[in-house]
Amino acid sequence: MKEVPAKIEHNNAWIVIKLGIGEDRIALPAPVNKEVLFKTVVDVEEKKNILIITDKTNVEVVYKILSVDKVLAVLKKMILSSCNAYRLMAYFMSPAIKGGVMIKDAQWEKGSVVVVHSGIWFVSPTKQVCVPVNDVAGIELTKREVQGKPTDVVRIDHLESGEVVSSMVLCPLSTLQVLFNFLKETTKSMDMKGTELDGVDQQVAMLIYSGMDSHAIENMLNIPHKQLDAIYDKILKLGLAEVATIRREVQLTTKGVRYISDATKSQTN
Amino acid sequence: MGKILIVDDTLFMRTLLKNILFSGGHTIAGEAGDGEEAVAKYKELKPDLVTMDVVMPKMNGIEALKGIKAIDPAARVVMCTAVGQEQMVKLAIKTGAKGYIVKPFQAPKVLEEVKNVLST
Repeated sequence: MKEVPAKIEHNNAWIVIKLGIGEDRIALPAPVNKEVLFKTVVDVEEKKNILIITDKTNVEVVYKILSVDKVLAVLKKMILSSCNAYRLMAYFMSPAIKGGVMIKDAQWEKGSVVVVHSGIWFVSPTKQVCVPVNDVAGIELTKREVQGKPTDVVRIDHLESGEVVSSMVLCPLSTLQVLFNFLKETTKSMDMKGTELDGVDQQVAMLIYSGMDSHAIENMLNIPHKQLDAIYDKILKLGLAEVATIRREVQLTTKGVRYISDATKSQTN
Repeated sequence: MGKILIVDDTLFMRTLLKNILFSGGHTIAGEAGDGEEAVAKYKELKPDLVTMDVVMPKMNGIEALKGIKAIDPAARVVMCTAVGQEQMVKLAIKTGAKGYIVKPFQAPKVLEEVKNVLST
């Protein structure tokens, strides 16, 4: 078993350990004193440089491991190849589209797609990309031209640092259908009927998506701010958006008017 | 910064693109609502770049792209289409499009793509 330096969260504090990495398990020395078999890992998440592993033998236990990219890359590759998850061999392209712009040098990579509780992992010898389920904005079984032929692919739209990114998965149609259904089921809570917003509401949502602020939206759609506020309320209530900033409109008091009058006088004198 | 011709059959999309491009410091040379008008406006306005919708009445974006390329082989055209029509990419690139954006899009990415194409 190889030993690498890492930190682990134990009793709400980060402690330095020599993490043991074996072929089928990791060893967490004292004071944790645990061995985690890869096959009993049911979830793998990554937040910055922290790998969050959920192990389930009898009860679920969560381990948070902090280390350098190189160590985490090895850990992720080993755990994701053997953990308890829905796994399929596939070609994937991630990212394929960023913010609506096609990535020109995007390549299909051979690897596997691993679906765990909290997200979807794209794993190849050189890459481990995670798309958290909560960040999945859309899933579509669609066609894409591959080697000159229209080919069935699953397209997954997800949010990455506020940017909409699309990834593609390519494998036999029957497997794609299983993956599509699985992902649809996992993200079912985010599905909507499609009738919740009317035409103007949808245009407002589209403009928010494109990065327009309230002032630009009012001008573009020629709507008063009270109407825009009402649409915002509707969108917020549906959970389609969250408040980013609150701006205020103010008017001058008598003191303020006097100040400006005096300032103007001193400029003209 | 460039002089840009916006081609899209919906006023909403044209207005959105106009706002995005304007906020990025570009000048709007003009707008066209279909492929035929796009070719005519290109001849008249000689823009630095065209954003071209694909699905449009009268003449679609690919035909309009061919028409513009026949007038000016060096024309910089960025194709712009909806989700699910990405297979048009290859055809558009073959026809001479310099870039491709997929609706819905985000302003910073559109500006980045336009900047890249203008620098070619």
